[in-house]
Amino acid sequence: MRIGSTVLLSDQYCVQSYEWKIKRPLGKIQGIFDSLEEYHCDEVAIIRPVRGNDSFDDFRKDIEVVKKLSSMTPISFGGGVRTLEHLKLLQNLPVERLIFSSAFLEKNEKLILGAKSLFGHQAIQCLLPIMTKGGETWVYHSSKNIYIPIDSVDIQFINDLANEVILFDVIHEGMSDSFDWSLLEGIAFDTKKIIISGGVGRKDIQLAKVKKVASVLVDNKILHQEYSISGYKNAT
Amino acid sequence: MKVDILDIGSGNISSIKNWIEKANVPTRIVNSAQNIKSDLLILPGVGSAGSYMARLIDGNYDVAIREHLANGGRLLGICLGFQIMTKYSEEDGGVSCLGLINGHVERIGTEISHNGWEPLRFRNDDMNEQLFHNQYKLTNKRVLNGRVFYNHEYGVVNKEDKSFSTPVSNYLPKYAGLFVKDKIIGIQFHPEKSQITGLDLISMIL
Repeated sequence: MRIGSTVLLSDQYCVQSYEWKIKRPLGKIQGIFDSLEEYHCDEVAIIRPVRGNDSFDDFRKDIEVVKKLSSMTPISFGGGVRTLEHLKLLQNLPVERLIFSSAFLEKNEKLILGAKSLFGHQAIQCLLPIMTKGGETWVYHSSKNIYIPIDSVDIQFINDLANEVILFDVIHEGMSDSFDWSLLEGIAFDTKKIIISGGVGRKDIQLAKVKKVASVLVDNKILHQEYSISGYKNAT
Repeated sequence: MKVDILDIGSGNISSIKNWIEKANVPTRIVNSAQNIKSDLLILPGVGSAGSYMARLIDGNYDVAIREHLANGGRLLGICLGFQIMTKYSEEDGGVSCLGLINGHVERIGTEISHNGWEPLRFRNDDMNEQLFHNQYKLTNKRVLNGRVFYNHEYGVVNKEDKSFSTPVSNYLPKYAGLFVKDKIIGIQFHPEKSQITGLDLISMIL
């Protein structure tokens, strides 16, 4: 099982968010990557936590920042990749895998197959910002700024086109040892292709190893506290 | 030393450049077949075998790669760039490849891809029995012992008689993770994203 970290990129700078909405500035992306690399972090997911009002110009400015990144750590990138024009900008970034969210919810097959052609199927990840409320499971549809019921999501479409699925617990993001494991119940994804994120702590990592998920992404709180990835790796 | 990185619009060129230049060796990005003039040519590769081979042939790169080898140059293929050195790949319904290596490429399993870190350990002397030995002695390291990052769905089945090869992992022993034969080196993992081990490896290769 891989142990990585999420890095949220907003307006060319990194931020930490809580509950998928409150943002706290962290600084420049290169410094954050340097820290994560020192910790031998297995992988980093750079996510732009954008909503429906994201513009192509904002996207392009963030891409310029990622393009300059010097890193020898595996990187996934996503957030606001909505058209083939966006996709063109992703070529020759220091990135191996692409993250799509709204594209999967909208079943934008043309875009995802275009990405598959450029990067390969192994590079395609689906991000589902997810929560339970009122006994129901909801997924945040970023480009529409609304939560939709999980029942309205075509799980088979995701299973067919995504190599891995990031379940991002939006309620517990920014906390530790509080990932909501019930989110995995009732969703027909193979556990081996699931990546969990949002509120992941050491106890969650123990459980993740038992459940044999593909990867865990720790919120980048390690940048604020003297946690280290190695500490998480040795969690028993 | 001259190092060319082939850019056919499919590959993580900036990461490869970053990896090589961390060893203080300058690189040149080449995007036309007639401009390949180097001691070491690197074939990066992401995407699928069908589209990659089509781009190679359309740009006459396949001929240029063979000429590079015939002129005594060294060739390094990474991930898909390694796979297309074999005779054929099962990907995209079957694709004829460059045939520089006796072997083929097949799906490593029917379920999901192989994404993760695996240990890599070998003795430098074992690799250097091939013609591809390092020429610039950037390191005195005798043993590489680290971990490397894989992200692939297809693997190379090596059928060469006399080659240096290490398996992808203990549970994927059929597929080559690191391959060296004559002046060709193939790497299935991503050395440019393998942190310290990637840096050690490039010092041993160059």
